[in-house]
Amino acid sequence: MAEQRAVHPLLKIAVVCGALILFFLVLSWGQEHWDAYTVRILNLCGIYIGITLGLNLCNGFTGQFSLGIAGFMAVGAYTTALLTMSPAVKQAVFFIQPLIYPLNSIQWGFLPALLMAAVVSGIVGFLVGAPAIRFRGDYLAITTLGFAEIIRIVFTNIVPITNGALGLKGIPPHTNLLWSWGFALVCIAVMVRLMRTTYGRALKAIRDDEVAAEAMGVNLFFHKNLAFVMSAMMAGVGGGLLGNLITTIDPNMFRFPLTFTVLMMAVLGGLGSITGTVISAAAVTIAMEAFRALEEPRVILGLAIPGVPGMRMVVFSVALMIVILFYPKGFMGDREFSLDRVKRLAAGLDRTNTSKQG
Amino acid sequence: MLDTNDAFDANGAPGTDSAPSADLPALACESVTMRFGGLTAVDGFNLRVPKGALYGLIGPNGAGKTTVFNIVSGVLRPSAGAVKLFGVDVTGLSPDRIARSGIARTFQNIRLFRNLTVLDNVLVGLHLRREANLAQAMLALPRHRAEETQMAATAAQLLEEIGLAGVSHYRASALPYGRQRRLEIARALATKPAVLLLDEPAAGMNPAETEDLMRLITDIRNRFSLTILLIEHEMKVVMGICERMTVLDHGDTIAEGTPDEIQRNDRVIKAYLGGGAVARA
Ligand SMILES: Nc1ncnc2c1ncn2[C@@H]1O[C@H](COP(=O)(O)OP(=O)(O)O)[C@@H](O)[C@H]1O
Ligand SMILES: [Mg+2]
Repeated sequence: MAEQRAVHPLLKIAVVCGALILFFLVLSWGQEHWDAYTVRILNLCGIYIGITLGLNLCNGFTGQFSLGIAGFMAVGAYTTALLTMSPAVKQAVFFIQPLIYPLNSIQWGFLPALLMAAVVSGIVGFLVGAPAIRFRGDYLAITTLGFAEIIRIVFTNIVPITNGALGLKGIPPHTNLLWSWGFALVCIAVMVRLMRTTYGRALKAIRDDEVAAEAMGVNLFFHKNLAFVMSAMMAGVGGGLLGNLITTIDPNMFRFPLTFTVLMMAVLGGLGSITGTVISAAAVTIAMEAFRALEEPRVILGLAIPGVPGMRMVVFSVALMIVILFYPKGFMGDREFSLDRVKRLAAGLDRTNTSKQG
Repeated sequence: MLDTNDAFDANGAPGTDSAPSADLPALACESVTMRFGGLTAVDGFNLRVPKGALYGLIGPNGAGKTTVFNIVSGVLRPSAGAVKLFGVDVTGLSPDRIARSGIARTFQNIRLFRNLTVLDNVLVGLHLRREANLAQAMLALPRHRAEETQMAATAAQLLEEIGLAGVSHYRASALPYGRQRRLEIARALATKPAVLLLDEPAAGMNPAETEDLMRLITDIRNRFSLTILLIEHEMKVVMGICERMTVLDHGDTIAEGTPDEIQRNDRVIKAYLGGGAVARA
């Protein structure tokens, strides 16, 4: 370590800022010049990276196996949509029962609406998490799954707020590459920072042994809720971005398969790895779109194969099983990919006989 | 909560004791009883561990020793009775609050944070004395960064003193058994306890390792000015180092006294011969 030349912190900051500016310049150019299909998939990548990181914070880093992510996404999506739609559109959409005051007469900017989505889903996260945190393992999974289902049913039935099963249409398409990747980067930064603090270590301690963590003075209620609420907030903002990307939402979008998809992204990348999550969320998102072709009817070698809806999920489930067989902890496990690691590996190859701490 | 904490700090710090607290036991159990359904695991248990003592809690397997630890450390709430730390009632507080009040423990069946490094295990023990709140930590404000550096230094020093400095970047689960037991002690010390509870720390060790460990225990008692309560089911091990001990059998206290008194006690001899503990040991 000692002989390694330290990089000046200001230089480091300058390099990071430069890279960020370049990254966003490319994105804003791409937003105009890439084709709509590519832009859409890239948007989804950014959104799912953020949401999956949130799920990983709760399920992976803290070891609290929650299945409620679709519920939090729904809360965020409806909050953002209702705040950003114009009063005129709302009046047209809510033709069965009018939207209640004051929602019917307000229209917010995208950023405040997303922040509100974070607040509302965070509060819902706390309301669900605070009691559910007494449960462990399977019980937490079942309770949170039940919560997501309750959200869906409530949203189907409070017609004056959600427009019921018809859902919302004409949501302004605010989401673009800058928003979705900005969200992804914020989530990555939050996770990286959190895991470098003593609070992040406490979360991992809870994952490894809850009884020991509590005996060492880790307040389980505070720390589990911390993970739960932050996870819900990330899912909520992600849901909001998703709604304003695809411009229509309805309660049935937020069923269990959505949770399953996000969970699959986290498990494939490695529960407990930030870099694994980022890579896996992007890869699965792209594959999900690419495999859409599987569900369309087609003719192969003169054989007419009918389109089977849901075929993608079959393929993914099989792929998931195969991966779990060979990589039980996902591709990255709980390790991270970093330049330091590459350097260390390279150093290790140079002098294979030196101690562990090279 | 805050005021009880202050009380502990005042009493726990050596030399600051006011007159009335001078003869208060560091740890006391008063008529503690624990029932699991029909089974009475601990019955009317009394204990007074003076400040600075190295005190033994012995008895055959199943006597109720670990149950006493679970009650003192807040894992279990006793069916009756009270636990007092420097005279302050801590009965039924949650384990993390008890840890913050100044009681730390190890586990009979090792419970390390298996996937964390040796260093991180100790750092988790330091978490409860943190100063920076979540926001300060996330924003990496100078105050938090100084604290993290300080914590890392403290942890490294603790590992040095316990003899684990060379392996601080290993995963805890990669350590051999004996070193895992030592790491549990280091992690417990990180919480800056006034009272340390050790549950069969020598279990599974060979005689040489055991002797090393007993030296370490007397050593840390002096260096960290601790009060130590030590569980052991094999009598021989603790005879040499404990000043006093209590003997449990089937939840009942059958003897209390110095090692010499205990060794000559008829009920103890009978319990150990009759209970099959000798065969097991
Ligand atoms: N959580 C529990 N639930 C039910 N029975 C328990 C529990 N913990 C301990 N016991 C019982 O209490 C008795 C004392 O156990 P324990 O305190 O572990 O003994 P020791 O540590 O002295 O070997 C045993 O019979 C054990 O089975
Ligand atoms: Mg025991």
